Amino acid sequence: MKRVSKPVFFITAIIILALSYFAIFGFTTQYGDIKTTVIKGINDIRWGIDIKGGVEATFKPAGDVDATDEEMEAAKAVIETRLVSSNITDYELYADSASDRIIVRFPWKEDEKNFDPEAAIDEISATAQLTFRPGNSYASTDVDANGDVVYKTPTGDTEQILMEGSNVKSASPAIDQENTGNYCVALNLKDASVFKNITEQYLNQTVSIWMDDIMISAPTVSSVISNGEATITGTFTAQEATDLANKINAGALPFKLETASFGTISPTLGASSLTAMAYAGIAAVILIALLMIIVFRLPGFIATIALIGQVGLMIATVSGFFPVFSSFTMTLPGIAGLILSIGMGVDANIITAERIREELRGGKTIDMAIDKGSKNSFSAIFDGNVTVIIVALILLLVFGPTNILSGIFGQSTTGTIYAFGYTLLMGVISNFVMGVFASRLMLRSVSGFKPLRKKFLYGGVGK
Amino acid sequence: MNNTTVQTAPRRVIDFVGKKKIFFGISLAIFAVGIICNIIFGTQLDIQFTGGTIAKYSYTGQVDEEKLKEVAQNATPDNQITFSISKNMLAGEAASDDDYIVSLQFTGTDSISFEQQKAVTEALNKAFPDNNFEYSESSSVESSMGWKFFLKCIVAVAIACALMVLYVTFRFKKIGGLAAGMMALVALFHDVLIIYFLYIILRMPLDGNFIAVVLMILGYSLNDTIVIYDRIRENRKTLGGRTPLGELTNISLTQVIRRTILTSISTLMAVACVFAVGIIFNLDSVTRFALPTMVGVVSGCYSSIAIATPLWVVWENRKKKK
Repeated sequence: MKRVSKPVFFITAIIILALSYFAIFGFTTQYGDIKTTVIKGINDIRWGIDIKGGVEATFKPAGDVDATDEEMEAAKAVIETRLVSSNITDYELYADSASDRIIVRFPWKEDEKNFDPEAAIDEISATAQLTFRPGNSYASTDVDANGDVVYKTPTGDTEQILMEGSNVKSASPAIDQENTGNYCVALNLKDASVFKNITEQYLNQTVSIWMDDIMISAPTVSSVISNGEATITGTFTAQEATDLANKINAGALPFKLETASFGTISPTLGASSLTAMAYAGIAAVILIALLMIIVFRLPGFIATIALIGQVGLMIATVSGFFPVFSSFTMTLPGIAGLILSIGMGVDANIITAERIREELRGGKTIDMAIDKGSKNSFSAIFDGNVTVIIVALILLLVFGPTNILSGIFGQSTTGTIYAFGYTLLMGVISNFVMGVFASRLMLRSVSGFKPLRKKFLYGGVGK
Repeated sequence: MNNTTVQTAPRRVIDFVGKKKIFFGISLAIFAVGIICNIIFGTQLDIQFTGGTIAKYSYTGQVDEEKLKEVAQNATPDNQITFSISKNMLAGEAASDDDYIVSLQFTGTDSISFEQQKAVTEALNKAFPDNNFEYSESSSVESSMGWKFFLKCIVAVAIACALMVLYVTFRFKKIGGLAAGMMALVALFHDVLIIYFLYIILRMPLDGNFIAVVLMILGYSLNDTIVIYDRIRENRKTLGGRTPLGELTNISLTQVIRRTILTSISTLMAVACVFAVGIIFNLDSVTRFALPTMVGVVSGCYSSIAIATPLWVVWENRKKKK
């Protein structure tokens, strides 16, 4: 057997425990009142509305309107702007162009006492007011979901309305012909004379574009436009140009939005019961640890460290601990995925420890037993985990953004089950890292310590 | 890998395969009870799948139930209302004995409109000004969307099952891959049916949680079956082809039974902790999820040992006779 040097155990164990500590508790620094989250911990997990409570609503065009894809995107842009202006940043929003539905979900905010979901839904789906105003002054600012600053509330110059959104025929993203590589937004106007007057009056000045009370763009008029075809140029990326065009189109939507379905889930699992769930998690880990240590002794102890590492790693993948994985909305099915992965992780350790015990009772030395036990148990662990990966991938593909069945069922059927696939996949990967690799590494290292070289400690019959 | 050591059979081999009739009998008996309950109770689908509306309101003090129904009914004349009243025991709130929750279900598969929903809230507040009727939660789903979601879940499960069987077929070629895969699938159906019947017997409507539990148990149960197959595959290699299939299987099962039980106990303990918290804090959504999961874990463990493996032995033996 290839020996693993003794310090490896301590190094691995310390890395695992440190990782788990930071994954659970996070790391924040505080300068005066400003708290900066350096590492995201368990408190930064976003809980889905099935756990934390929240609002879910589906909107559709009123009447028998068959909306185009562009119109649906524009309607979605309206809702998105509204959510931001109502200070709701933690939302999920889908537009399903196949069935003309827009679905929005958002959880209750912290300390929400008198939130009226019915009023909020009314507000979100109201018809958008697009206006063109002189200047670019604003009275307040806000921060959107991406951390960008949002300028709100017209004041001074901007209280005057030059043109309403109803005069916009369409807006579309385009490539800037003069300034290659940049994108711009092309505006097509209904009544060219109104816009001609504006551009004459405010030549070389700023005219801002607002949706409701949010400023979405503040271009400078660079020439008089008399043919009703304007372009807004700037350093737009393709995405930014599309977003802006969608918002402008929203002000010119030919239909109203109607609430097709509406649901609220009371915050049953409020902050206090989330703490209770955390206790359940801790109790489960302690019980499993006791069982493992009593039944398997030394390998059981190592399995416990690996299990803590697996839990830490899984929390890290949902809380946004690693910059590559953005934080993830945890739902009840997501918790099901966590439980199954922990089960699989415990199982990997049990299979290996059982095998080592069997080999020892068959008369092998400790080194040989660890070697053979690890080798012989790998295929079972591998096959079991691969089948689970298959399930996880199917769920991610079907219920995630890729939505491979959208051709049959439409996009809006994307739901909470996505979280199950995600936590399961991350759990199985964590299982290979911790339950298989780290656990075996530590066991081999520990078996080098003289006082620990007793068959009894590995589940053999004591002599 | 040098395989010079001969795998020794365990001293006491438990005769699992010989007891297959008892095993199959137990499962069939449970199914029979389930089917009878299903006929009596019928299958309830949550409005998540069928479409429809449920609205819940909290209130304090005593309310004339007939009047309550009448008020709600008058607010939505087009929909028949069924309703139930329960004690309000929301977590984290100091709920007194006087706090209740009324849950109104509007029959019909279409969601009632948002405006109608608001009308009910207003009507209740007007009729019972002293009882602090407060809108607590609601869900309403369009029937077409609900069905799509349900069908999509079923298709996703079917695809996942098909791929898992393919994988087992491929990996366990040496022990009659396709048969092994199909029998594993039978065991999965067994588990899904057990969970389904549990929902029927407890009269819980099938909802998104049901799908989550089923998916979880599919993964769990198949893992159990694979661990057993893996041992049979290995023993076939080390014990040689001379050992009769039944005995080979019994040896393998005896070797892995400790692992299967320990893993199941661990998982069961973890879920039981969640279940206990759900009970203590009266978190409906959690207990409704944890209970079927616990039953599923037991069923998944049982079906691998008592259904998939003996069935596979029967199948392989019959193939040999031909």
